[in-house]
Amino acid sequence: MNSLTKSGLGRLAVAASAALLAGCASFSRDGGIDDVARMTQERIAQPAPLKRDQDTQAVQSEIRTLLSKPVGADAAVRIALLNNQGLQATLADLAISEADFVQAGRLPNPGFGFGRVRGGGETEIDRSLTFNLAALLTLPARSRIEGRRFEQAKLQAAMQSVKLAADTRKAWYGAVAAAQAATFADQVRGSAEAAAELAARMRAAGNWSALDAARERAFYQDALTQQAQARLQATTAREELVRLLGLWGPSIDFTLPDRLPDLPAQPRLAANAEADALSQRLDVLIARQDAQATAQALGLTQTTRFINVFDAGYVNKSTTGAPRENGYEVSLELPLFDWGGARVARAQASYMAAVHRTGDVAVKARSEVRQAYASYRTAYDIARHYRDDIVPLRRQIADEVLLRYNGMLASTFELLAESREQLTAVNAAIAAQRDFWIADTNLQFAMNAGGTTDSRTAQ
Amino acid sequence: MISRRDFFKGAGAVAVSTAAVSRVGAASLPEAVVMDNAKTHVPPLPSTGLPFNPVVTLNGWSLPWRMNNGVKEFHLVAEPVVREFAPGMKVNLWGYNGQSPGPTIEVVEGDRVRIFVTNRLPEHTSVHWHGQRLPNGMDGVTGLTQPGIAPGKTFVYEFVARRPGTFMYHPHADEMTQMAMGMMGFWVTHPKDRAKFAVDRDFVFLLSSYDIDPGSYTPKVNTMLDQNLWTFNSRVFPGIDSLPVRQGDRVRIRVGNLTMTNHPIHLHGHEFEVTGTDGGWTHPASRWPEVTTDVGVGQMRAIEFVANEPGDWALHCHKSHHTMNAMGHNVPTLIGVDHRGIAEKIGRIVPDYMVMGDKGGSMGGMEMPIPENTLPMMTGDGPFGGVEMGGMFTVLKVRHDQKRGDYTDPGWYKHPAGTLAYEWTGRLAEPARSADAGRSLMPATSRPDVKLQVRKPSGHGEH
Repeated sequence: MNSLTKSGLGRLAVAASAALLAGCASFSRDGGIDDVARMTQERIAQPAPLKRDQDTQAVQSEIRTLLSKPVGADAAVRIALLNNQGLQATLADLAISEADFVQAGRLPNPGFGFGRVRGGGETEIDRSLTFNLAALLTLPARSRIEGRRFEQAKLQAAMQSVKLAADTRKAWYGAVAAAQAATFADQVRGSAEAAAELAARMRAAGNWSALDAARERAFYQDALTQQAQARLQATTAREELVRLLGLWGPSIDFTLPDRLPDLPAQPRLAANAEADALSQRLDVLIARQDAQATAQALGLTQTTRFINVFDAGYVNKSTTGAPRENGYEVSLELPLFDWGGARVARAQASYMAAVHRTGDVAVKARSEVRQAYASYRTAYDIARHYRDDIVPLRRQIADEVLLRYNGMLASTFELLAESREQLTAVNAAIAAQRDFWIADTNLQFAMNAGGTTDSRTAQ
Repeated sequence: MISRRDFFKGAGAVAVSTAAVSRVGAASLPEAVVMDNAKTHVPPLPSTGLPFNPVVTLNGWSLPWRMNNGVKEFHLVAEPVVREFAPGMKVNLWGYNGQSPGPTIEVVEGDRVRIFVTNRLPEHTSVHWHGQRLPNGMDGVTGLTQPGIAPGKTFVYEFVARRPGTFMYHPHADEMTQMAMGMMGFWVTHPKDRAKFAVDRDFVFLLSSYDIDPGSYTPKVNTMLDQNLWTFNSRVFPGIDSLPVRQGDRVRIRVGNLTMTNHPIHLHGHEFEVTGTDGGWTHPASRWPEVTTDVGVGQMRAIEFVANEPGDWALHCHKSHHTMNAMGHNVPTLIGVDHRGIAEKIGRIVPDYMVMGDKGGSMGGMEMPIPENTLPMMTGDGPFGGVEMGGMFTVLKVRHDQKRGDYTDPGWYKHPAGTLAYEWTGRLAEPARSADAGRSLMPATSRPDVKLQVRKPSGHGEH
């Protein structure tokens, strides 16, 4: 008891001095955004121009400049990082988190009380100077917790940024490909229109039956429908991109490049993908940080047993329909009945739980990376197969049919039907190319951020 | 256009290579002589055996023989060959001794003939001597009169050529395939009396047909009737040699039909008589003049005439699609279809598109790239432009200065003044035309009035 008290008092002194030091915590120059930008930049392979306020003149001017030219994939990501208000909200949350952190490091103000009581001819004046001892005692713990929360918030914000970048890229690929598909649908319609018109004129000249003319006309009507659907798809895909870019009003009239980027000459190799993912993935980092924090708490418990008077933990509250509320709880208790043994066991168990959770995240991360790589590699091979084999073959077939047409061995209708087949193959090749770039983005995301294996392949 | 003729020069002929079937068998087998080109080779007068006047096989040759104790021995080798149908088109066929059709076998009435047949095909075969009187066991019908000649085996046929006339030889084993692949040859039995039925020029060719997809090299052997290449001796115009003769020559043309349809063979400028049929020579009293004779499936005809009209005269099958090369059977008619605006629209999708067929089938000399190993549907240039023919079409060239026995191409005919059609450049009156097209005679009472927009030519500005 004696030693404990002594030790407790000593600890109190240490805590108080630590609290005074922690009290030096102040607002950072960047509100944590520089850290988030650095983490994001490392993962999206391009500068991450994160700003807390997108309404400044410079930001708006940069966005306008970017929109004035055909918007490439990198430019789209840049605009999204500057302009997406969902991300802005996350960055604002980061500021709240920092404010909490700074607040937690401040000593509570002392209170001063003055009382005057008069009765029975006597006047009693009470003066008191109060100081929130509990706040003083819990200050280092609160500061540490808020510090960790701030770090977590930065990781979350980085995760959000990386995810936004990935989503933007995928939407960009989808929008460009859909626009290309719409152009091809226009050409197919043109081909069907020519055939239908030729059929009608052959009918007028008395060379064709109503049956044959109607067949060509029916094909033309189908082509019209497909063209309408392709155009809607192009609009839908573009709107998805517009949402991620956070654009509205006249700024949505930007142009996109005519075609997707070419396939890389060689696919990436799978070497070290899993190891790299474990060192880079934000969800792994978050889990690891959580485990380390728990370990620190456990270390503290074992060396000081301070935990028998002090317990701190994350709490969160979930209410249906409302966002999850995160926070923490600090309680101070007096060591009268419980000497802390159970709490040590609990801390150890908490630590083990955190360790297992980290392991679980790591296992999932490895698997997700493998799956993403398999998707990436397959998409690459398919896209290359289209580019190197299917499309050239279709072109060759169309050329051969043209030769047959030249020799009056095939008709104009066969020629047009083959040209439609060729366009369909080119269209499928574009879809394969789009799927490759989406798979590429998914692989990057699985390597760097994780948390989802959404293998998005469009329509 | 007509290739230079090569001549046999004795037994070891120029342009004829020899290949023994096997070194072991060489002592007992006659040489299997192989031909490596599709030119017309005029055979020499026979140096052994009974004398006869040899025939000229159009774009072909006659098979050399050896006399062995009074027996005329030939050696046929059935084998895969590559036959040039015309410059620019080669076809994988099965034939005999390097070519398809195989070499013409020429014998004399009463000859004892021994024919060695070696099979170098991947399947069994046999040879049926079409039209011959012979011992039943020599008739060459697989399964019925003999077993098939297995790949690598050699069979011997031996019989006396009893009846003079015109014959053919072809397999009677897996006939559908082997004949679709070009297994056939001509056979002529000359009369013992050399003067009997003697003519100045005696041409022979077989009619055969193939279905070869544009851009491919091998016939489709399962096509029954819808063949697309119609040939004289597996050659198509403009790859077919012409028939040069001297004015006043008595000319015989023998035609055998191994296609699956009949062919009305038509000669311009002359009347002829059918002097020989499958059964032999026709009685002179039974002959009547013709300018076209129908050669039925599996039949042979010999026609004769005196070539007394100088000029370049067409000789062709009168089925118009038989004087064309491969064509699209499902190409719709575009005649009279207005293409304005459509061609541009199609051109946006098919960059090299060019309108064809809206004025008819003639491509007006357009040189358009077509599939490999494919001949234009209508082709061949004459002295006045495109002949617009293909397939079973050639030219009889009658010249007063063509030397006896000379089969070289004399070039194009030079028309004497006043003997050539010419363009009228004077005024043309509009012809009077009936407006009701016979309606008053045969009124159509129950039919709707179909309005046709027939554009009749007027003036000569456009046509």
